[in-house]
Amino acid sequence: MQAALIVYRKELLEILRDRRTLLAIGLAALATPLVLFVISQVATKTATQTYTVGYSGTIPPQLRTLLTATSLNLVPVADPAAAAKQQVDLGAAFLPGEIDEYYDPSRQGAQIASVRLETVAGQYAAAQAAAALQNLHIDPGILTPLKLVAHPLTSPVKAASNAFLSFFLPYILITMILTGGFSAALDTSAGERERRTLESLLLTPAPRSRVLLGKIAAITTISLMAAVAAIGSMFVALSQISVPGPGGSAGHITLNPAAVPVMVWLALLIAVSFSSVTLALGTLAKSFRQGQAYVTPLYFITILPASIILFIPDFNPTLAYYLIPILNAVLVLRDAIVHNSVSWASISVTTASLVATGLLSWFVALRLFTREALLTKS
Amino acid sequence: MTDSAVAVERLEKTLGSNKVLRGISFDAKAGQIFGLLGPNGAGKTTTLRIICTLLAPDSGSVAVLGFDTRKAPEEVRRRIGVVTADIGVYPRLSARENIEYFARLCGLVGGELTRRTDGVIERLDMGSFSKQRAESLSSGQKQKVAIARAIVHDPEILMFDEPTSNLDVLASKEVREFMVEAKGRGKCVIFSTHVMHDAERLCDRLTILHEGQVVASGTTAEVKGDRRDLEDAFLELVGER
Repeated sequence: MQAALIVYRKELLEILRDRRTLLAIGLAALATPLVLFVISQVATKTATQTYTVGYSGTIPPQLRTLLTATSLNLVPVADPAAAAKQQVDLGAAFLPGEIDEYYDPSRQGAQIASVRLETVAGQYAAAQAAAALQNLHIDPGILTPLKLVAHPLTSPVKAASNAFLSFFLPYILITMILTGGFSAALDTSAGERERRTLESLLLTPAPRSRVLLGKIAAITTISLMAAVAAIGSMFVALSQISVPGPGGSAGHITLNPAAVPVMVWLALLIAVSFSSVTLALGTLAKSFRQGQAYVTPLYFITILPASIILFIPDFNPTLAYYLIPILNAVLVLRDAIVHNSVSWASISVTTASLVATGLLSWFVALRLFTREALLTKS
Repeated sequence: MTDSAVAVERLEKTLGSNKVLRGISFDAKAGQIFGLLGPNGAGKTTTLRIICTLLAPDSGSVAVLGFDTRKAPEEVRRRIGVVTADIGVYPRLSARENIEYFARLCGLVGGELTRRTDGVIERLDMGSFSKQRAESLSSGQKQKVAIARAIVHDPEILMFDEPTSNLDVLASKEVREFMVEAKGRGKCVIFSTHVMHDAERLCDRLTILHEGQVVASGTTAEVKGDRRDLEDAFLELVGER
């Protein structure tokens, strides 16, 4: 094990002096808050932006006041339907007892303006009806003979927080682990051949399995450093962003306690497993550039199924899905974030799958690392 | 053959479809410089790689200080130091860090590690650039790093595979001087080259390989015979085949 430790220390020192790796970790730490900031700015702007309604007919004064208070700018036009196509976000013809609404559903601004108009018009209509009934000494409650009282099991802010994290966190974790160790893995494998240091290294009495172990440990460390940098900066950024809740309340996005150990465990498994995979592929390559050509498809092959699943929030997988590396990590992490718990069966299958992937890759990497062609075809 | 530091017996090796070695035998002794000569593709590098356990022979055997390369490869690697023409060094480590890395992998620790590293740095006159990163070193300085890391564990056998082919005149001279010094300290030096002038000046004994076979073997004087110089002998021996 002494040889593995020597190789580990040297690889780590060399990797941390490599500008490419430092740049990857730095970008990992900066990119996530930047993306979150842009999302937050766009969301805030969308929520507070004023949209223009081109109208014809007469708007009752109270309704006009309500619409203006909802950031709808009212502009008289001759033909609301024609205006809705180009000039304004929404067209509305105010007729006695009726509002005809014209909008293009493919435009986000038109959709938001429509929702605002419908909400205000509904409230106005309900208030008018209630006032008319009261004038007739009739209880306005007859308008709602069946009341629906909602009791959400979690706060809307927490639900929004979980929904956001269940999408964003697995993606960031896996992407950063894979890309963070990418450069380091190629540098310690294909880089050895390219720099022509491999022969000297193999000439030392250190067993090759230990040399490989030291390299995998170094790549794993760098992968985890990139993931910690990205996720740490993400939570720092999230602590500065408020999520709007009902009735004007607001809260911050927080992670369920169960998700933390699950995330750490999965990060470790993915990092070890994929360090072995990338090292094996890097060993096949004669140069860093060739290594990139081998490893880049791996990134897309692994990240694609996981990304697709992230867009299906209610996907209810059978246990067999947990056998698929990376996809299983996404599913387990999502369970932990949304439900604050993970079934033993799913975490066990996921662990077994990732450990098997790591061991298989380790075995392949060792075989590749000890083959004669490594030297004779250099 | 019992006093041989390296004994090669009927070595055969095929790489891909190319039969590189066809039953070669020779031995090299301590306190001598042994030359392995031959044109490109003769099998010199393959032979050296088998001796230092990087490749396994298809048949035949190699004993290094009594250790069979197939049965005890780690013991063999502990006792040899190899310098090749490809001066591969870790660019982001300093010259000293490069040497220490290999010293540690050879089992040196603590005070012994420092003493040996300081020793080779002084011996090869590397003090002025030992703290510089290897990426900023000249070819000659890199070659010194390569030699230093190969000898830092004080191996009994030193192998030089065309060590001067990428070096300028001054750096080549220093490498040659180092080989002579190592011989003087009782080391077995195996020197592969196709520079006949170097071989004639340095080698006590030599073997000429051609197309994977030994075409001549003996002391430098024996191989040269009555020809004008070693180059004439080499051209005659290789040209005849």
